[in-house]
Amino acid sequence: MRIFTVLGILFYSSVIILAGMVLIVFAFNLLQPQDISNLLNYAQSSSNSRIILGLSGLLLILISLSFAQLILGRLQREKTIAFATSSGEVTIALSAVEDLIRRLSGVIPEIKELRPDVIATKKGIIVDLRVVLKKEANIPELTSRLQEVTKTKIQEVLGIEEQITVKIHVAKIITADEKDRKKRDVEKDELTAPFSGYGRA
Amino acid sequence: MARKDDSRTDLGLIRIHNNAIAQTASIASLEIEGVKRVGKDIKSNIMEFLGKKGITAIRVETNKNEEVKVEIPLIIKYGFNIPEVSSKVQENVLQALEKMTNLSIKEVNINVQGIESLRDLQAGR
Repeated sequence: MRIFTVLGILFYSSVIILAGMVLIVFAFNLLQPQDISNLLNYAQSSSNSRIILGLSGLLLILISLSFAQLILGRLQREKTIAFATSSGEVTIALSAVEDLIRRLSGVIPEIKELRPDVIATKKGIIVDLRVVLKKEANIPELTSRLQEVTKTKIQEVLGIEEQITVKIHVAKIITADEKDRKKRDVEKDELTAPFSGYGRA
Repeated sequence: MARKDDSRTDLGLIRIHNNAIAQTASIASLEIEGVKRVGKDIKSNIMEFLGKKGITAIRVETNKNEEVKVEIPLIIKYGFNIPEVSSKVQENVLQALEKMTNLSIKEVNINVQGIESLRDLQAGR
């Protein structure tokens, strides 16, 4: 796998260097548009060269896709919490932990919206919560409760004893007027059908 | 892809396809309470889009010693303890595969991709 990564990096470096060299050659006027035209004409002149060109293109696409999958897989692997059991390894995607925390907005009625961001470090798990609250909420009491609930839920569901830090950022507080206005806007949009009176006598 | 360790009997060869192993693992995983569904990957999404069903995102690998390694992506139901559910899935998959295929299972790795979404709940899936 490591050799494949090295080959992929070399491949991408060569392609980018080649593109850079072509641009420099163009800038210094060493290559004329006519030369490129001749080259393309030559490449398209016989069926053999066209097949080779097509296959090379396909190969390049396949290399790119497999390399992209390798990088994405690695990135995904880094965003997990892992532990080993007697039968194998268990990895939990951090997005799964985020899903779990998002559910907590249903438990605390004063929360209008909850956007979690979970980071796993060597010291433990850091949870960044961005919340939108309703006006009637008591912020110090609510945030403290939310921190406690989040921490307990993660420990309960993941069964981990590592340190969990919960940071809360109150992004917005929605007033009752704002809620009513939004509700009215939605209702208004639903009621007014475009061209509703069109075509009537 | 057919596996290399085809077992020969008096009547001929018996081949177990990797898909058969993956599907067995999928069924065994779903038997455990707390598992919502088997997760997906790019390949299974494309296959589903193309209308080909029954392709799971479960990866099956066999090493040189003919030992099988299974990797299962899972979506867990809300409210269940993930390590507990994962451990039960590992044991059930291990038992099911050993019972059904007589293969030597080296590892059953679980990758918890997510918790059931609200959309899943609303759809009652």
